[in-house]
Amino acid sequence: MTYQKVKIVAYYTFKEILKSKILINVFFVGLILMLLTYVATEFTYGVPERVALDFGLGMLSLSSIGISLFLGVNLLSKEIDSRTVYMVVSRPVPRFAFILGKIIGLIGIQFVNVFLLSTMIVSVTYLLGGAITPLVWWSIGFTFLESILLLLVVLLMSLLANNILSTLISVVVLLLGHAVKETQNVGFVQNNPFIKTILEVYHFFLPGFYKLNLKDYILYKVTLPVDYLMSSLSYGLSYSVFLLMVIIYLFNKKNLD
Amino acid sequence: MINFTNVTKIFKSDILSQPLTALDDVSFSIPEGSMVGFLGANGAGKTTSLKIIMDFIRPTKGQVSFSPELGRNKLEILKNIGFLPERPYFYPTLSGRDFLMFMGQLSGLTTAQIKTEIYKWASIFKIDFALSREIKTYSKGMLQRIGFLATIMHQPKIIILDEPLSGLDPIGRKELKDVIVQVHKEGKTVFFSSHIVPDVEEICDRVIFLKDGKLAYDGSVMSLMQSGKKQDYFISAHVVEGFMPVTSFKGVTKLPNNLEKYLVDSTEKDALLSELISNKFNVVGVEMQKPSLEEIFYNTRG
Repeated sequence: MTYQKVKIVAYYTFKEILKSKILINVFFVGLILMLLTYVATEFTYGVPERVALDFGLGMLSLSSIGISLFLGVNLLSKEIDSRTVYMVVSRPVPRFAFILGKIIGLIGIQFVNVFLLSTMIVSVTYLLGGAITPLVWWSIGFTFLESILLLLVVLLMSLLANNILSTLISVVVLLLGHAVKETQNVGFVQNNPFIKTILEVYHFFLPGFYKLNLKDYILYKVTLPVDYLMSSLSYGLSYSVFLLMVIIYLFNKKNLD
Repeated sequence: MINFTNVTKIFKSDILSQPLTALDDVSFSIPEGSMVGFLGANGAGKTTSLKIIMDFIRPTKGQVSFSPELGRNKLEILKNIGFLPERPYFYPTLSGRDFLMFMGQLSGLTTAQIKTEIYKWASIFKIDFALSREIKTYSKGMLQRIGFLATIMHQPKIIILDEPLSGLDPIGRKELKDVIVQVHKEGKTVFFSSHIVPDVEEICDRVIFLKDGKLAYDGSVMSLMQSGKKQDYFISAHVVEGFMPVTSFKGVTKLPNNLEKYLVDSTEKDALLSELISNKFNVVGVEMQKPSLEEIFYNTRG
């Protein structure tokens, strides 16, 4: 019964966002990809497919981050401001079913975005004679997972702060999450116990987005053991489930005023 | 049906801000089958009360209880409540029909039941022509009407409306009031907040007044009107031109054909009547001055 309610909320969330023409960005990103591919073909010597793939995966990442940030931050605040949330939670729908449905609907949009863009990227790379290694598929999957993780971070922040603050904090968490590992290896940090401890604590609690970034390995054709990939996958999934539980708990307690 | 008992709500946005008491020990009840108007100036605490009833926000003190006919747990109770928030703005890119399907499915209706309800109400609400259009193209009146349709389509036992008539033109208000009355006649309990006092006076049998977060009145509209009666009378009579009564009066309105309408205190009523009759003037009417609910409302506010 509750599962049914989650499905209904997810379906209409997906439909509403889809009709809001958010996926028009796929068209623009696709256009940019074509242009960059043309430029890469003209100006690079012998490796246009690698440049196209690198640009493509980078833009896929940017596009999904953009969707997570802008849709995620508005997902609840817009509902509360326009009072549409009252129409839903005044029905026999548990709050957790509402928030879970909203999140799944948004993840559905992310899936369509990643699917369309990655199809484009893979096709262009293939047409330019590039090889589509298994790591490319892993990278696309991890970009999708990264966008889900970021979406949950943004949602969590939007339950605690206003829109601007939650977007800013989420961007900072994303940037630090990508940079934390490299920063820990810097000599200055290694020699400074205080900063080292701060980074270790940060690394322990906040999401390490770097684990989901495989683009450099693809560019430099480094192979990665399946164990590493599986551990990154489990990390991303378990962190997402943890954030989801925190979001559901907070939303259940939240005053919708 | 709903008992709102000793509810206090204090808002405090952050540590530095002053606490704001939105509701102060407010108690009232909504009896089954009644049509209750919820009056109060802006900021009196009406919307806060409705949000507490709907469990959108929690009271600082006090509690809200529901009669067993509404259900034994939260989800059962919500199944029997139809709620329409103030100035709703629904999912803009969904069509009206999609929105109603969404709301109906959430309330546990089958697709066939939803279609039947849409067919039944859409023409009454004059919204049938726009059901395929995106909601963002709807006017305010249309939003209110589709919102009301979504509120009643699952056949709730009680309907709670937050300012359903605000922002509508007179025709829109009349149409919506007619439907509210129709739904009430079908046996539904109706509880709605409004700051348009004549609307409440027109259709409600019971009224609850909030003033500065405190309960100012809870009872029948009739009793409130009786309590607010002024002891003044209007006496109308055809008199000769230039006539000035000896009896003291509060005011006079001169009408065509030497008809004059005197406003007198009850203690002077008989004296003025005697004076008019002894002068052989034709007395055409004596009526007690009735204050409107609006006057009482503004006096209560003051």
